[in-house]
Amino acid sequence: MSDAANTDRWIRWLNTVQLVLAGLLIMAPTVWMVLSSFKPSFEVTAYPPTLVFSPTLENYVELTRTTPFLSYALNSLIVTLGSTALGLLFGIPAAFAVSWTRISWPAILTLAARMAPGTLFLLPWYVMFRQIGMIGSYTALILSHAVITLPIVIWVLLPSFDGIPRSVFEAAQVDGCSVTRILWRIALPLVASGVAVSAILAFVFSWNYFLFALVLSNGDTKTLIAAAFNFIGEGSTQWGALMAAATLIALPPLVLAALVQRWLVSGLTLGAVKG
Amino acid sequence: MSDTAATLTQDRQKLEMAALSAPAVIFTVGMIAFPVVYTIWLGFQTFSSTGKQSFAGLANYSKLVADYEFWHGLWVTIALYVLSLALQLLFGVWLALVLFHAKRLPGVVRSLFISPFMMPPVVAGMMWLVILDPSLGAANYILQALGLPPSDWLASPTWVIPTVALIDSWQWTPYVALIVLGGLQSLPPSVYEAAQIDGASPFKTFQRITLPLLLPTIVTAAILRSVDLLRFFDIIYITTQGGPGNASNTLNIYGFRVGFEFFNIGYASALMLTLTAIVFGAVLAFNRLRGAVAW
Repeated sequence: MSDAANTDRWIRWLNTVQLVLAGLLIMAPTVWMVLSSFKPSFEVTAYPPTLVFSPTLENYVELTRTTPFLSYALNSLIVTLGSTALGLLFGIPAAFAVSWTRISWPAILTLAARMAPGTLFLLPWYVMFRQIGMIGSYTALILSHAVITLPIVIWVLLPSFDGIPRSVFEAAQVDGCSVTRILWRIALPLVASGVAVSAILAFVFSWNYFLFALVLSNGDTKTLIAAAFNFIGEGSTQWGALMAAATLIALPPLVLAALVQRWLVSGLTLGAVKG
Repeated sequence: MSDTAATLTQDRQKLEMAALSAPAVIFTVGMIAFPVVYTIWLGFQTFSSTGKQSFAGLANYSKLVADYEFWHGLWVTIALYVLSLALQLLFGVWLALVLFHAKRLPGVVRSLFISPFMMPPVVAGMMWLVILDPSLGAANYILQALGLPPSDWLASPTWVIPTVALIDSWQWTPYVALIVLGGLQSLPPSVYEAAQIDGASPFKTFQRITLPLLLPTIVTAAILRSVDLLRFFDIIYITTQGGPGNASNTLNIYGFRVGFEFFNIGYASALMLTLTAIVFGAVLAFNRLRGAVAW
């Protein structure tokens, strides 16, 4: 065998080793979380840690028995779906108008939310919502989370709308179609996959968002993420239930993200990178 | 079509466009622009313990300049930022190169790589809290099995910042890697072929050709991470709440606690406006850098 072919094989082997190593580093903590959630309570805190055990659902049962996990989950779902719907409702027409007119300031304005620390908005919201008695309401939570979803929808959809040839619109205009009609009847079906990606990303980031619900929710409207403390507070003997909670909270975004993984990164960079 | 008819359609079209963006613009003004202006106003107010507010001029800002906790928070924020960004860019570029040379990436592998940054940071904090437990955690067990000394991780004032940086880097290095991978895949293959013909070593090719061409993409990734890292909150709040002591009290955590634990809304507003100015400053600086390395 020639030297060159030998080096080539060596390099490819080295690359595979690095890939496996990286994969292990990325996967191991998540796998450990899921495994711990299925461990019998006496084995979760076993030292040295065990890898082989007889799996049990007792942690999940314990979690739903001792905490209002399901009502938190329902709150999360209401806030997330509400804010995603609001983001789509406001974001789709805005993205279309920005793409058409090339007047980009409305889109850039929404980016402020992506850059400023959330506490900057939370302080005035808290004062305002308190004055009108809306602290703890779903409305306040949905409105605040829509600040997360709206820029995602607009910036994921912008390149999709930009990708439609102008001639398509011009032809429709000649036929006497109004702009609004063009959006709903012609443009929207053409960017359906972009809408799906933006909806899923909006859902994921709204679901994952921590800060706003920490202050704007109350005992009845607390989301899963904001309630994470309630699960931690119980000390190391409750590790099993804690890991069960963590696994369940992470499940919806992970499943949804896997569905759109191919388009995810270009969407996440808000148009800064075409991937 | 006559001229007047044409202008009429154009006017109509402008109106329709305005109507389409109106809901988003009204929402953004109501929920972002107005609240920010309101925060600026709040920054000039003081709130007494009974909640009574009064105009205070620049008192909050002169307090800030003299506040040890502010400067400490700024130091923690910058230390955490620099460390995390360096780790994520370094390992992100490495991981991107490894992925690039793997040629074909099955969807399952891709899903695996995006899983850390698609899960809530709060969940990442919860899982690492258990893994890094000083007495019963798996991390110290592995260290000891390798003959290394165990660490107190999040419970140690010295190690808490590097540990938080490590957790965040676990979450976001794959994200940086996928952005850089996109940049690698868009490079023209001809440059590599030319380098190969000239007999350049793989390392030289990377240093002289790939890296300079990749710099704009890397700077973009740095901007996107900077925005998140400078307002670091979730993982710290769930794991240490700024502790032990005040060792991980970033500006965002400090501002949040001043506002919502001590209810000093005026001073918290001044803190948050300062942090926002820092974030925007960093983004502007990186944008200039991106202009300088563009090709």
